[in-house]
Amino acid sequence: MAESASYTEKLKRWDRFKAEKFSKKAPVTTPYPFIDIEKPPEYRGIPHINPEKCIGCGACVNACPPDALIMEWDKEHGVKRLTYNAARCIRCARCIEVCPTGAMEPTTRFEVATDNKEDLVEVVEHKLAYCEECGEYLDFTERQIEYVRNILPKDVFDAYALEDRIKLTQEEKMRRTVIKLRETEGNVYPAFMLVRETKDDGGEE
Amino acid sequence: METAVKLGFSLAGIIIMLFLPPYLDGIARRVKARLQYRRGPPLSQTWYDLRKLFGMPSVKPTKKALFTWAPYIALASAISAALLLPYGNVVPVDFGYNLVVFFYVVLMVSVFLMLAGLTVQNAFSHLGSAREMQVILTVEPLIAILYGVLAYNSGSLDLYTIMTGLHLTPSLVLTYILLAYALYVESGFVPFDIAEAEQEVIGGPLSEYSGRLLGVFYYAIYIKRFALLWFFISLLTLPWIGPIGTPEKAALVLALQFVLTVAFYPIIAALEATNARLRIDHVVKMNTRAFFAGLIILAMAFMGW
Amino acid sequence: MVNTKDLEAHFEFECKACENGRCAKADVNSILSERKGLRDFYEAFKEHIKGCKRMTYGQYQFVIDREVLPEAVLWWHNHPEFKETHLSTAVGTDERPLNGHFVYMPFLNVQVEFANEPENYWVFLRTYLLADDPSFPSVAEKLPAALWIEREVKDLLGFKPVNHPDPRRLILPEDWPEGVYPLRKDMDYRHSPITEPKVEFKEKPEDTTLVPMGPAHMGIEEPAHFRLFVKGEEIVDVDYRGFYSHRGIEKTGEGRLTYNQVLFLAERICGICGYQHSVSYAMAVERLADVDIPDRARYIRTLLLELERIHNHLLWVGIAAHMVGYDTGFMHAWRIREPVMWLVERLTGNRKQYGMNIVGGVRRDILDYRKEEILKVVKQIREGTKTFLDVALNTNTFIKRAEGVGILPYKVAKAYSVLGPTARASGRKIDVRKDQAVKTATAYNEIDFKVPVYKEGDVLARVLVRMDELFESLWMVEQLIDQMPGGDIMVPIGKLPEYEEALGFTEAHRGEVVHYVMTGEKNKVYRWKVRAPTYNNLPAVPEMLKGYHVADAPLIIASIDPCYSCTERVQFVDVNTGKVKVLTEAEFNELSIKYKGVF
Repeated sequence: MAESASYTEKLKRWDRFKAEKFSKKAPVTTPYPFIDIEKPPEYRGIPHINPEKCIGCGACVNACPPDALIMEWDKEHGVKRLTYNAARCIRCARCIEVCPTGAMEPTTRFEVATDNKEDLVEVVEHKLAYCEECGEYLDFTERQIEYVRNILPKDVFDAYALEDRIKLTQEEKMRRTVIKLRETEGNVYPAFMLVRETKDDGGEE
Repeated sequence: METAVKLGFSLAGIIIMLFLPPYLDGIARRVKARLQYRRGPPLSQTWYDLRKLFGMPSVKPTKKALFTWAPYIALASAISAALLLPYGNVVPVDFGYNLVVFFYVVLMVSVFLMLAGLTVQNAFSHLGSAREMQVILTVEPLIAILYGVLAYNSGSLDLYTIMTGLHLTPSLVLTYILLAYALYVESGFVPFDIAEAEQEVIGGPLSEYSGRLLGVFYYAIYIKRFALLWFFISLLTLPWIGPIGTPEKAALVLALQFVLTVAFYPIIAALEATNARLRIDHVVKMNTRAFFAGLIILAMAFMGW
Repeated sequence: MVNTKDLEAHFEFECKACENGRCAKADVNSILSERKGLRDFYEAFKEHIKGCKRMTYGQYQFVIDREVLPEAVLWWHNHPEFKETHLSTAVGTDERPLNGHFVYMPFLNVQVEFANEPENYWVFLRTYLLADDPSFPSVAEKLPAALWIEREVKDLLGFKPVNHPDPRRLILPEDWPEGVYPLRKDMDYRHSPITEPKVEFKEKPEDTTLVPMGPAHMGIEEPAHFRLFVKGEEIVDVDYRGFYSHRGIEKTGEGRLTYNQVLFLAERICGICGYQHSVSYAMAVERLADVDIPDRARYIRTLLLELERIHNHLLWVGIAAHMVGYDTGFMHAWRIREPVMWLVERLTGNRKQYGMNIVGGVRRDILDYRKEEILKVVKQIREGTKTFLDVALNTNTFIKRAEGVGILPYKVAKAYSVLGPTARASGRKIDVRKDQAVKTATAYNEIDFKVPVYKEGDVLARVLVRMDELFESLWMVEQLIDQMPGGDIMVPIGKLPEYEEALGFTEAHRGEVVHYVMTGEKNKVYRWKVRAPTYNNLPAVPEMLKGYHVADAPLIIASIDPCYSCTERVQFVDVNTGKVKVLTEAEFNELSIKYKGVF
């Protein structure tokens, strides 16, 4: 992505026009791209994913109208891949609004001219959390779980015994619930309710 | 010695006539751009355009030979028209009765443009040709009459003799005014570029042309415009500067002609930029009116005014 | 055609307002007495009215028998008192998954009195068509405004307008097979069949030459195909084939767009009047959710709508000048326009496609330090436009080309339901900003402006109407800045009611933009119908062209400010709701994350 501006950058290096002299003679013509044009701070340019802040929750993927952001799971390698494609992006900045960690950063860049389409793509890979019990990867990234740990109050953690369960896959959780149900006969709660509650907490935000 | 001077002036004329017209168009583009607060292209942009067109092959939509030959004939006509004009005191090609020949060769450019449009099966080409024809049919009689006034006034049909033999009468002043209009129409500047209107008929007769042939046509049109303007400038200057005896004075006259031509082009460009294109019926109406005005002038000239 | 009586036997109409689904039995007095004209209509068609309801404020719906559809539409359209009532458009919906029927629903903008918003209203005439015989008597036979509307539902839904005068294909491409209807719910959106192309053009009249303008022509910016039949230079007859830029954005939307995502799609229907579409759509959804958006949001929306109108009118006048070869006018109009784009970039973050709307308000506040700049730009535009008009309207050749050309008489304008400045140049006194209740989404009811109307109906009148409107818009922007209230800029909307309908509308610079939205389950859209003003204006262009020169054709076509992409738009975003699919866990997770992130 960082390379995408190179084409116009190269042009600018020619320095063929002096902007001041130019504008006096003909007020309408601007020697763009040989000069920098003013970009207001309000300008909505190409967003940029800050991989340090991103937790891979996918909120931006849901909000994105044109599918410029895509989420992929690669369970074999334990990787969750977030792909941003500036060529599909319509610069609506919805992703920036919905991002819970501020990892989607606004910029004022707008020049996407490039001779290599791959310059327009940003990929962020996240490690998926690993379930020790069943030896499989979870659907959530390690950072997501870290984030949940940080924002959830301690008493919620204790109430649902999340510390033990948070790093388990869905199957493992279900299995445990069933075992638990078998242990405590006459439980008034249906099994699915228990499952659903834990599931919710494991989610993002 | 005299032949060498003559040859020199002819050569200067040929160089001017071949190289100046695209630069004049460049000036026009620049002036229009400035009127529109733009910077505009470099002066030799029209040359670059032509060079590019000359370097490209043409797509031919028909097998008719006229389609291929028309641009070249038009170019030849335009060049011969330009060669019939005086550069300083030298006319490169002099047959006598030059005025009639000049009238015809200038007309030929339009005629071949029109015929070229009719060789292809394209409604826009046909419409453009039909418009070109209507413009020619209405403006040429007017030009013929005005040439008649000039010939009567000077008592000659030879261009150089006319230009040196004119004497100032009211009818001549009116002729100049009307001639300016008629030559402007004949040159096909906005608002009279009806035949080649891009938004309406996609370039009219030129719509099927491409590459080298299109370039040749454009070149022919630029030279024709130059020839008409040079003719008008010569008419304005030559009669009033007295006999040209020495080569030095001739060179001065040539320089004057050159400067005035270059100076007139921005005026034309400004006129072009500040007008919308007229419709063919408007032009026909205007030309008809001008024709009758021309008749009156002719009558005045006969009465000796 | 099956009689509706048969239909009644196995179908109970739903009616929100009436107790047992029949107006005849229920107490409908309260609804019918709300606005003038409703009761008269009810009395006139008592036998055939099966239900009525108030969809939302100022929008009434009657369920009528399909046999009387032409009479009912004409009753409203030719109402002797409500002179400017017009057929806005019609919606065809495949409601078979809901109730086993197709629905064809023309709706009219009823103007009881100009600029009397509490009196005027919209009337929807809902007719149910049988699933195996979706035919209805054609309105187009008597009313040319319905010509395209009926051809459209014929193409996309397979309805059969009986006795339609011109039943050729309108929207689908030539190589689309017969009997495949993309808007039906059982059609998969990925399915795109192709057969041998079959071209249906109008017969050439005798002794004429065909001049094909388009699909790619200098004088038409977008693909459109006008077939001019000319004698010499005079146009005798015209055929139009368009919809080359029918984009099918539905493919993007199908199955995954929520109501807030559709908003961004709506904004991209048009390149230059996108915000109008965006506001219309947002307004429709807010109406059916019954939300009042904050005042500040309404003012910001109105401000942007008017700024958009200003630069669009300048753009248009530039193009009009370009069409007659007056390029200096073109360049200067666009030069004057540029500061608006510059300003809007600073207000919203983009020159076009503002992305300012969200259902329930706007996304960005207008900061105080930009107010100065707005006023500065307004002043600049006002001076610039005045100079421009001074020069352009004193250019003889320009006036010569525009005056008395492309005359659209009042009667033709009304019969084709022509909208916007085109209609106002022909003496139609209509403007949705004043006529209808736009107060839920915009602030037009709180500011002062005039609606210029000219009677000449030629191209020059269209220029003048637009320029007058431009000055009104400048004045409106100044008022909006002065009066802008403080407070919130949006209210969140949670869940939308299911299977509710409402209409959103704004007066774009070309005429009224209409968005009809019917919600489905789970915050999705079941039917979204967009009607851009060019859809109503373009069918009238052949009428304007007849009798004028080929040279005038580009100017006349441009004079309605056609926008082909708007007209040929996205048809819909239909969502297959209620479809049961077994999800894998990964998919389930994806979905569960998805619906949390939206709101």
